[in-house]
Amino acid sequence: MTAQHDSAWHGDAGLQPERTDLAWSRTTMSMVIAAAVFLRWLPHHGWFVGTLVGGAIVTAVAINLTQKRRFHRAVRGIRHETMAPHVGSTAAVAASVVVLALLGIYTVLFLPLQP
Amino acid sequence: MPEDPNTGEPDTRGWLASRILRGGTEPDPRFTLANERTFLAWIRTSLALLAGGVAVEAFMADLLGQELRKTIAVLLLVLALVIGGGSFFRWVNVERAMRSKAPLPLPLIAPVLAIGGALVAAIMVVFVIARPA
Repeated sequence: MTAQHDSAWHGDAGLQPERTDLAWSRTTMSMVIAAAVFLRWLPHHGWFVGTLVGGAIVTAVAINLTQKRRFHRAVRGIRHETMAPHVGSTAAVAASVVVLALLGIYTVLFLPLQP
Repeated sequence: MPEDPNTGEPDTRGWLASRILRGGTEPDPRFTLANERTFLAWIRTSLALLAGGVAVEAFMADLLGQELRKTIAVLLLVLALVIGGGSFFRWVNVERAMRSKAPLPLPLIAPVLAIGGALVAAIMVVFVIARPA
């Protein structure tokens, strides 16, 4: 067995690392979809909306770039029967959603709707 | 580097984890991963509400009056804000409960989502019934 295969082997019949990896992937896709929906606001609310589109895209890219590291950390955690939780990842994603929601509320309340 | 309160040894989990999740012992990694997936499911719920709020404002200009449209959009966005922020605290509380082997706390964001969602649905039902044919 190659080193690469070995590092992905965990022996967990519950397939927890895979399922968690897929949950992160779905979240990335939801972020991209949110960015696409924000784009719809561009003609109505002007260029400020770019901050929302950019915020969602940056979060999606950040999740994608760190995905492999998280997966291997989960595999190691299952193999060694102990792992530290991803506080940084969860805090960053939650903070991103909160900021996007605040920017959205600001857009609806304070930016005039252009016909 | 902060010390582990149980063993007195240096805490290697990183600054954020050792600050937020003090005391107790690491739970089964399967539970840690399950908690992470549940957190992500809440985040996606929040993102759906966010997209819904934007969609109401952007796509329903011909259907809803300005005030009603703004109200529904802001309601959905505030709900997205509360669910998104609350999901992190839910995750931390579950993680802390698992570390100290305490019963899992009740999800306070669940009733918020139920009541908020029902409120938006009720407004839409009233609008559809009251709208002239």
